[in-house]
Amino acid sequence: MMSGSPIQDSAVVTHDAPASIYVARSLAGALDALGEYGTAGAPFAGGTWIMRSPIRHQPLKTHYVAIGRLPELTAVRISSDAIEIGATITHAALAAALAGLPEFAGLAAAAGHSANPAIRAMATIGGNLATSEFAAADCVPALLCLDADVEISDRRGREHLSLTDFLKIRSTLAPGRLVTRIILPRTERKTAHVRLPLRRAGDYPVAIVSLSVSLDATSRVQAARIAVGSVEATARRWPRLEAALLGRPLDATAVARTATELTDEFVGRDSVDAPAWYRVSVLPGLVRRAAIAALGS
Amino acid sequence: MGFSLTVNGDRLSCAADPATPLVDILREEMHLTGAKPVCREGFCGACMVLVDGEPTPSCLVPAALADGREIHTVEGLAPHGALNRIQTALEASDAVQCGMCFPGMVVSLTHLLTARPDASRDDIRAALTGNICRCTGYERIVEATLLALATR
Repeated sequence: MMSGSPIQDSAVVTHDAPASIYVARSLAGALDALGEYGTAGAPFAGGTWIMRSPIRHQPLKTHYVAIGRLPELTAVRISSDAIEIGATITHAALAAALAGLPEFAGLAAAAGHSANPAIRAMATIGGNLATSEFAAADCVPALLCLDADVEISDRRGREHLSLTDFLKIRSTLAPGRLVTRIILPRTERKTAHVRLPLRRAGDYPVAIVSLSVSLDATSRVQAARIAVGSVEATARRWPRLEAALLGRPLDATAVARTATELTDEFVGRDSVDAPAWYRVSVLPGLVRRAAIAALGS
Repeated sequence: MGFSLTVNGDRLSCAADPATPLVDILREEMHLTGAKPVCREGFCGACMVLVDGEPTPSCLVPAALADGREIHTVEGLAPHGALNRIQTALEASDAVQCGMCFPGMVVSLTHLLTARPDASRDDIRAALTGNICRCTGYERIVEATLLALATR
């Protein structure tokens, strides 16, 4: 039994309270509402970023469209050649869905170790991709290594674009447009995702390295994708390090040495939790750990 | 516009604005002050409640999305005047601390005992990742949880 009782006349006052949160019952309804609201509206998925707006001294939107309970957006479809991930699947649900798929070990680690258990059960993968101000998003570098495509929908239809291209336009995505799916091709590869939080768990990572390699019959690297997150404002691939891996056995010490020579490609971001130079300086160590993890996957 | 919440088994109406965090409704409208608004970022776990049975930081749940949900706060985890299994073990192990983080710890561990009756020490630590204790009294809490798990 609860010990308190409701007091009808003392509604809690919030600053910048939005006029409405519309709980969509279908994807079509959500897209209609977002289209109607235009610049005054925004999607609300897990809420783990939007609900913290007051702490960032950012005003809330006038209207939100809650999309977290739409069955169309919470499914993961696994076929022999691709995986389609609904944009509002939570990190916890995604990690569980990828269990037993070794080529997605990196993404499973990203989704399964970000933040803390309660946040992982709320925060969505679409929110992770679409929140351009969140530099420490775990799933972004993990998906960059998996050649991910992003599906964007609005009332008129939908289109696909590469995640790399999506990251370039996401901060200026037109009102009414919504990330609805992430599509990952399936291929034989080894993947890993390593992160350095200030505490062992439950913190934002100072730096993230995600890695995906395909090895030939002699265990030499045929294809490599390496992405760095949290060091700069937006996660991005490390093409020169990727090129240096090709044709050689994946040797953790050697790749870390090469990474040390190439870290000047990154300009770290300063913040209260870590200075810019530190974020860059830990990259070779994370690359080494990522290579070890990939070899063991 | 009002919302309807089921809190600790009681169906209650709420007149808050739609984006009002659940923790503020619980504390200021319903006078259930066990959940503490501390970081308001989902990091510290002091405002943890069960929403439809899942541990959830109530600072991040807006009123509009609490509508129609089953909410259990630390005040409603056991019948009035009684303690549940983890509460009993925490008291027996002298693990009860200052009260800032502790209600959230109790909520998270109450869920753990139900969801993971075979939980190991590492599982307990992992489950408490989102519950920060500035008294750093984790070890006694982990020991108490192991005791509770062993007390079927």
